Amino acid sequence: MVINKREKNNIVIFDIEGEIRRSDITDVTLHQLVKEQLEVGKKQILLNFDKVDFIDSFGVGEILASYISTHNLGGKLKLARISKKLYLIFQVTMLTKVLEIHDEEDAALQSFFKE
Amino acid sequence: MAERRLHKVLSAVVKIKPGEEVLAVLIFFYFFLITAPFGIVKSLRDANFLEDLKAENLPYAYLSAILIAVAVSFHAKLQTRFSRRSLLMSTLVFFILTDLVFWALFSRPHWDWLALIYWMWANLFVVALTTQFWFLVNDVFNPREAKRLIGFFGSGGILGGVAGNLLPGFLAKPETSHRLLLVSAAFLGLCLVVVGLTFAWLRKNEDRYAAAPKREPKPGGKESRHVGLGDSFRSVASDSYLRLMAWIVLVTGIVSTFIDWQSKSLIQSDPVAQQNYASFFGRFNAGILVFAFLFQLVMTSRFINRFGIRTGLLIYPVIILLCSVGIGVFPLLGFAIAIKGSDKALSYSINQSSRELLYIPVLPALKYRAKVFIDMFLNRFSKAVGGVILLGLIYLIQRPPFTAMGLSPLVWVSFVSGAFVLIWILLNLRISRAYVREVKTQLAKKWERADEVVAGTMDVDAAKLVVDAIESRTESATLFALHLYELERQNKLTPEIRGLLALKPLGGSSPGTRPLFEYDASPWVSDFEESGVPAEMDKEIREILALDSYQKVIGDYAGQVIEGKTAHAETRKMELSKAIGLMNGRSAIAERLDDLLADDSSKVFQYAAESAGRFKKKVHVPLLFMKFADPRTCEDARSALERYGATIVGALSDYLEDSGESGLVREQAASLLARVGDQEAADALLDALGRGETALKNVLIDALDRVRSEVPEIAFKDEVVRDRFETEIRNLGPPRTPSDLLPVFKLLGLIYDHEDVFRAYQNLLKGTKDSVAYAIELLDHTVSQDVKDRLFPILEGLGGRGGRGTPP
Repeated sequence: MVINKREKNNIVIFDIEGEIRRSDITDVTLHQLVKEQLEVGKKQILLNFDKVDFIDSFGVGEILASYISTHNLGGKLKLARISKKLYLIFQVTMLTKVLEIHDEEDAALQSFFKE
Repeated sequence: MAERRLHKVLSAVVKIKPGEEVLAVLIFFYFFLITAPFGIVKSLRDANFLEDLKAENLPYAYLSAILIAVAVSFHAKLQTRFSRRSLLMSTLVFFILTDLVFWALFSRPHWDWLALIYWMWANLFVVALTTQFWFLVNDVFNPREAKRLIGFFGSGGILGGVAGNLLPGFLAKPETSHRLLLVSAAFLGLCLVVVGLTFAWLRKNEDRYAAAPKREPKPGGKESRHVGLGDSFRSVASDSYLRLMAWIVLVTGIVSTFIDWQSKSLIQSDPVAQQNYASFFGRFNAGILVFAFLFQLVMTSRFINRFGIRTGLLIYPVIILLCSVGIGVFPLLGFAIAIKGSDKALSYSINQSSRELLYIPVLPALKYRAKVFIDMFLNRFSKAVGGVILLGLIYLIQRPPFTAMGLSPLVWVSFVSGAFVLIWILLNLRISRAYVREVKTQLAKKWERADEVVAGTMDVDAAKLVVDAIESRTESATLFALHLYELERQNKLTPEIRGLLALKPLGGSSPGTRPLFEYDASPWVSDFEESGVPAEMDKEIREILALDSYQKVIGDYAGQVIEGKTAHAETRKMELSKAIGLMNGRSAIAERLDDLLADDSSKVFQYAAESAGRFKKKVHVPLLFMKFADPRTCEDARSALERYGATIVGALSDYLEDSGESGLVREQAASLLARVGDQEAADALLDALGRGETALKNVLIDALDRVRSEVPEIAFKDEVVRDRFETEIRNLGPPRTPSDLLPVFKLLGLIYDHEDVFRAYQNLLKGTKDSVAYAIELLDHTVSQDVKDRLFPILEGLGGRGGRGTPP
């Protein structure tokens, strides 16, 4: 898994590539990266899953941990470009009720401005 | 008025029903008037033979039965050409004329072997007229009626035989006994009148009796049920039960021939009999028949009703066996009289009645075909076989090394006869077992409990899930996804159900079609379509649900939902209720199910109850029971509690016992116990029934019946069931329809073969005379005597519509 960080209008965007799974743990996890940004005051975070092939429960746990951390600090964490399969999993687990998910990155960015 | 008086008179001797009196009396006299001349003819037959040809030639007379069998075959062909009425009348006319011819021949010096020709004619006389008589009885009475009235008809026959035998007994003189043939012709003339009256009566009452001549098929027509000997033989050969009957008739015939030879050999050597054979045989036969008459009148019906067919079939051969052994050890005239007397008395009474009853489980069409071969041909042919065996045996024992043993032919014949009787007993034992089996087969089970049929033919839970899924499409995308996921996990998302849910746009790319899914979730739904829920994905979902982070996030969300802080609160609660069912029952979110079960919305409760049914927590039981009061939630509460299974038998028993609970709750508890269907549940239900829960009586009986039908191995306390049966019968009053008896049959089904009891009940419901008769017949072999004594008078009072289908 490779995670690249970029920023647009003070919104931190993490572009994730590859597979997010327990057996493929990198030195720095997604949650740690999010926490680093929260610690420096960046509280608007977008996770872009455009190039993610697969996410297991560990990966979902990373997303949820990131969500909780952001939420606890009064920030916003949103998701964009997730796969159909992951969306289905989120539907069944009702995470679509909690997580804000957008089809496209632009739409997700726009939603930050509307708040 | 006259019929009422007749009914009163006949009721003293026979269990007769209103409307049956005239026909019963006509049939009684019909039998009387054919057996009376037979008494004359038979006495003369035996006397003439012993006088002219002696006992040593008797085996040839027995062999002549082959010619009789040929004549019977011819008679069978005649049946295919003529209607029953025409055949009966013309047969009587034939025997009147030939009777007069023999009178003329015996009136002048004659050839000795005329006695053999007369022997053959006499036997043909007997077989043709008696078989035709029984055909008519079978035509007009169903098995139950026949069983009830057979003693009366049989008595007519025996009485006729007594009268017919007493005439030669007192009037025959050695040189002029042939004049009695004129008397026998007169009896047949009277019989002609009675047969005419019988058919006239049947024609008038054809709505009740199907054998009326008007309804007979045209002779030789396609619908004719008359059959030839070949057809009859093939019918018997192809049916194991009928084959067994044929073997019994064959062995019985052989034994009967042996008995006849044994007795006549001893009679011939008796000086008193030698002075006037015709008179001796007349008195001898009359004495036998008086005994048989009394036995038939008083004992036969009661004996068969009390001890059943098996004992009825065994008593005859056992007595013959004892007599045969007696002759073998002490060859005295007394034993000859005893064996012949027993043979005739028992064959006319118990054996004939039992044999007719053996035809009960045979389908009417098959019975008619089989009777031609068995009763008309084999019955006579067996005598010929007996004659051949007798000739061979006598030839053999007159040669070394048998002569060296110093035993008389009579002793040899007696011992061989005993061996055949043993075979006969074994065959009777086999057919008595087969009889009950055949009666059951005849009453094929035609229906089952409606709930069992539904459960057996469709998956009710899956159907409900599909309906819920369809409804959820417009309610919420999440709810719909949860349904699809559940369907897929249960492998129920078949192409047909996908089509029903309209996951795929009809017609593919047609611009006129679009997914029915309002939330346009087709992008992700296609994942379901393409690959279903792979095991890996299912595992991921399970693991996500178990994540602490997930529990935290969704736990917070659940709190907001339950507190109604979200938009579309009812829908959100529905989603949550369903999603909780996927989680671990011990999780924090699952604890919130109590709140959802108590929710006022029936839609929320529907999904919450579903999840509660999965968790099977006892703490939820009272919440589910509370919802029985609301018709909107009653069914869902019930479905959920059903899923608890045996884990809540105790709680259900408490609800059932609690008289403070509403009737509805207690009924549901009884019904749920039935669903559990184990011994503990059955005991709880039966205990409640035993306590005399009047208001719940039918519910409890139905619940017990359900347990019995689904789990046959469950035992029910006999005493409690019988007590309740007794109470039900007592409180029954006059039942208007057989369906009033349903609780009684359900109770009987608990302690007797459930399937047999309900086969009988189905036939009662069918309501035709035959079906009611078959029902009673089956119960006769299923329930105990005390139950029969209480139930049968009620069943027989039900009567039955209509007759017996197509006439012969």
